[in-house]
Amino acid sequence: MDSDTDVRNGGDSTGPQRAAPLLTRLRHSEAVNGWLLISPTALYALLLLAAPLVTLFTFSFFKDGYLTIIPEFTLENYQATLSDPIFAALMQRSLWVSGLVTLATVLTAFPIAYYLSFHVAPALKARWLFLITIPFWTSYLIRVFLWKVILGYNGVVNSGLKELGLIDKPLEFLLYNVNSIVLTLSHSYAPFAILPIYVALEKIDRALLEAGQDLGESRLMTFWRVTLPLAMPGVIAAVLIVFIPTIGDYVTPQLIGGGKIPMVANLIQARMLDMDNKPLGSAVAVISMAIVAVVSILFLALNRRFLRGQK
Amino acid sequence: MSTSRATMIEFDNVHKYYGDYHALRGISARINGGEFFSLLGPSGCGKTTLLRTIAGFEDISSGAVMIDGRHMENVPANKRPTNMVFQSYAIFPHLSVAENVGFGLRRDPRSRAEKARAVEEALEMVGLKGYGARAAHALSGGQRQRVALARALILKPKVLLLDEPLSALDRKIREQMQVELIKLQREVGITFVLVTHDQEEALVMSDRIAVMFEGEIAQLADPETLYRRPNSRRVAEFIGVMNFLPCQVTGEAGGHIQLEVAGLGQVEIEPAQAPGVTRGGPASVGMRPETLTILYEGQQAGGREAPGVVEEVVYYGDMTYYDVRLDGLDHSVRISMRNVFGRPVLDIGTRTRVAWSPGALVLFR
Repeated sequence: MDSDTDVRNGGDSTGPQRAAPLLTRLRHSEAVNGWLLISPTALYALLLLAAPLVTLFTFSFFKDGYLTIIPEFTLENYQATLSDPIFAALMQRSLWVSGLVTLATVLTAFPIAYYLSFHVAPALKARWLFLITIPFWTSYLIRVFLWKVILGYNGVVNSGLKELGLIDKPLEFLLYNVNSIVLTLSHSYAPFAILPIYVALEKIDRALLEAGQDLGESRLMTFWRVTLPLAMPGVIAAVLIVFIPTIGDYVTPQLIGGGKIPMVANLIQARMLDMDNKPLGSAVAVISMAIVAVVSILFLALNRRFLRGQK
Repeated sequence: MSTSRATMIEFDNVHKYYGDYHALRGISARINGGEFFSLLGPSGCGKTTLLRTIAGFEDISSGAVMIDGRHMENVPANKRPTNMVFQSYAIFPHLSVAENVGFGLRRDPRSRAEKARAVEEALEMVGLKGYGARAAHALSGGQRQRVALARALILKPKVLLLDEPLSALDRKIREQMQVELIKLQREVGITFVLVTHDQEEALVMSDRIAVMFEGEIAQLADPETLYRRPNSRRVAEFIGVMNFLPCQVTGEAGGHIQLEVAGLGQVEIEPAQAPGVTRGGPASVGMRPETLTILYEGQQAGGREAPGVVEEVVYYGDMTYYDVRLDGLDHSVRISMRNVFGRPVLDIGTRTRVAWSPGALVLFR
């Protein structure tokens, strides 16, 4: 809202009111009140989100003098990264892994959200939601590490199977591969996918499902033609919420992949710290961000028909 | 008005329990083909539950529901020859108006172009010609309802079920839609079953009405019978306004029932005026406000009259309601009088005479 409108809202612009002190007018202005309300959050976001991003962006155009940064404009970092086959390979792997994680997470989250929304008694829903958040009670690092305990050479799965006499020596394919990374990440991000899908399903008027059946469709077809399209905003949110952070995940490839299956975040870490080349690391980070942004926007564009205003 | 008089829907001793709650208590009734039938009652009386047993959204605990001679047990909602207009209209928000109306045509063998024409015709029938491309969520309440009607009628069901379809509309549009629905029903000749809590709506629209209280049908009759000869005080009170006067049944002679009515004296009525049970003892008689007439100076009652005092006057423009306390009564009776040019509205406190006729009385236990 612009200041012009505020003045008109503030009074019917007759003489004495127009002459009111600036401070009084400001206090009555909705726009000013609005800015005041969001200012603490805005400030916080600016300092902790925007500032690091700007720094990163700036660094990516600077030159690297070993252990120092030379503030001279250059595109070398971008040229080096874009022509780097390691970057291309790791970026591809990152996209592939987080694509798999997203697919696995959303596909498993949907039935849970559906059950929660349609089959759990309303009085018990809060308890179920509470249970779903249990994985968050321990830190992400510990959860990832626990998967290592479960899948490891002498881990829970292997010793269990050996105990049962099903295998002679431990299975080695459980850990240190893409599957184990996908498994770990899917488990970690499950609640993030369940919740938005659950919310979208909760918003569906149950009469719509009856209407679907009333108009001659079976339960399955009603799901396909009514429930699923109406749940899509939640599914799309879940996809983005899972896809965007997992592509930059650092801990899981490091621990579960055992460093053998690095992803793009590990590359950034290597450039920034191991090589101590912050401008080059920054460029990798900026390019990764751009790629994630493009993929996300493409995904949104492909699904825009589900996101048009409803109700 | 109706295309066929054969039974379209039959309820045979239908019971429905929700846990311990007995929602339907032995409903038995027949709804004729081509009839505009209403289920009328206060909220919680089971009328919507009964409607949903026809649609197939509610299983019944015992008894039977038949549609067009076919047993509906184990027939799911999507296989029943019924379509419903939901209270919330249940318009699919992610689809356009035309996609909503054509929703049920997926397995229709006609070509795409023919289906599109059918959709356009259905929209025209409900007065929404040219609205097909609009987004459903951008429609007004009245338009949503028309879309819901078109969406159901395009499938040519044997029975159209309407669950309080007009309750969300404001008064003007509601009255307009009542007339349109009646016309539409005559035009398509489909059996309409309407659920409503609005007695006026039921009287205006229906061929027959089932009045329900606490999971039972209290009375099933045409609107005029329901209004003129309600079979219980409860039905009488639910439909319109009725004055009740205490009375004693003093005897029966020559096929007539003799009463001693407070404020009116000795009265003889026909057995038809006592739809409930009528042995001796205390009872009450009911009179509709419009069956009573205030007599002005010099006017003579054709039948009988009783003196009283005007206690309250409510002026409605075309009508005036008077509350008159008849001599010998401890409460007043309501009288509705059409306002005629040149006849003054009486003041509170005026002594007057009230004409009444024994034929307009109804006896209740």
